[in-house]
Amino acid sequence: MGVKTTSRRGDVFLWLCAAVLLFLLYQSGFFTEAAWDDFGRRFYQNFIKDRRYMMLVDGLKATLFMTAFSTLIGLAVGLILSVIRVAYKGGVPIRLLNAFAECYITVLRGTPAMVQLLIWNFTIFASARDLNTQYIAILAFGLNSGAYVAEIFRGGIESIDPGQMEAGRSLGLSYGASMRYIVLPQALRNVVPMLFNEFIALLKETSVAGYIGIDDLTRAGQNIQALTLEHSQPLVMVAIIYLVIVMFLTGVVRRLEQWLSRGRRG
Amino acid sequence: MMKRNKGVWALCLALAAIFSMTLYASAEEKLTGSAGNPLRGVEQLKTARLAAQRGTVGQFIAEDLLGDKKGELLTTYEKYVDAIASLRQGKVRAVVMDELPAKRFLSEVAGLTLMDEALSEESYAIGFKKGNAGLLGQVNKALSELKADGTLAAIFDKYLNGDVGAISPEGIDLNKGAKGGRLVVGTEAGFAPYELKVGSGYIGIDIEMCAAIAKKLGRELVIENMNFDALPMAVSTGKVDMICAGITVTEERKENMDFSDNYVEGARQVAVVRADDYQAPVK
Repeated sequence: MGVKTTSRRGDVFLWLCAAVLLFLLYQSGFFTEAAWDDFGRRFYQNFIKDRRYMMLVDGLKATLFMTAFSTLIGLAVGLILSVIRVAYKGGVPIRLLNAFAECYITVLRGTPAMVQLLIWNFTIFASARDLNTQYIAILAFGLNSGAYVAEIFRGGIESIDPGQMEAGRSLGLSYGASMRYIVLPQALRNVVPMLFNEFIALLKETSVAGYIGIDDLTRAGQNIQALTLEHSQPLVMVAIIYLVIVMFLTGVVRRLEQWLSRGRRG
Repeated sequence: MMKRNKGVWALCLALAAIFSMTLYASAEEKLTGSAGNPLRGVEQLKTARLAAQRGTVGQFIAEDLLGDKKGELLTTYEKYVDAIASLRQGKVRAVVMDELPAKRFLSEVAGLTLMDEALSEESYAIGFKKGNAGLLGQVNKALSELKADGTLAAIFDKYLNGDVGAISPEGIDLNKGAKGGRLVVGTEAGFAPYELKVGSGYIGIDIEMCAAIAKKLGRELVIENMNFDALPMAVSTGKVDMICAGITVTEERKENMDFSDNYVEGARQVAVVRADDYQAPVK
């Protein structure tokens, strides 16, 4: 395949970009001693002095903690909802569940995650004072993500040829068993990359958690800003940390895609 | 596989270069004055671009100053640091805020100054959920005791005349494990010298005062750090017991929450301006 040449050409292009950027930096006096002294002094003040980097580390921990657990909630909720959504629309209970699932997905996808977070914290859990705020955030982000995951799963399930389900049923498997052993495993393989992308989006979504008083990574940057009264370095550092994590996860998705497509024909 | 990895790292390098250029650009941020027509006094603020922190009394004062033009000329920010940044970048000509935090900005950031004339003088008090008379009474009693025995004055002296950089959160007794339960206080820890997050804890006049109040009440002080504009909501829904964040007492706020006795009187609201954009009136 032509992958090799494309990626080599891409490499050259990227190195070229980097070279142009370095040249521009040189032109703007970036490599003069004065600029670096000032940069270093502010860097020390923002991140090193009084172990301020620990604020970022603690913030990163909170961000990853929230992302990890809301991912789990999102997966569970999304799986259940999607199975309901594609279920054979026969009896009254199924219809009711279906209406509920549709309603849930419409509302949670139709409102901003930040508004939902505020409602969870200040309205629904208004009296839950001894509950760690992070758990409320996990619930809010998890349920929100569940709505998106449900649609991803539904797309995956509907992409499986109906003949698969029919084959299962004609072999005497129940609807549930056919779904569980035949349709879902195939659907899952199709949707894994999209799921990962949803979780990457979720990681970035948690940056609004500061609104309900959680010192996540973004908020940690703001706390450093308040200490040093400097606005750019802390925020850029926070951006770099997010970027590194997202790029790492994107790399994982790419590997996963390759791994999943191993046994595939064509 | 190797090739692709290299691409990722090249991208990383390129992005790092962009970011470092941003860092450099902000270091070089020049204070740009307005051509030949500097601010002279409060009168000119009425037609100037102003900034304030959202939900603070500074915002209300700026709105009063600008009148009908507030929609066009007033920008509110979530954090003071952002408002000051836009002042330095020349996006606004003045930031309306409390004098003490403003003075801290002046000592850290070059090229800024205060207008001579104060815009108003305000009082600070602790906010409670409307009708929470029980706690309000207890806190007022504790507050008057702290005023009488000089504790409050000592706290103010420590922050106004001492070295704030040397104060650490570990030195503040939060009365951990007190039998009376928790006293949850909402604040916005970006308002030195009243409240500031340091490492994983908090320092500041409000924090130490609340710690002293919690001690009098036999309760453990728990600080909830939120955005300033979320504080009224937090106290009225019972998320926190009280809010203490250099909150100015206003008639409008009194309609939505109850206030303790004042613990600061005559806190001046001032306009922070760029030094090269201000010509002090000749006395």
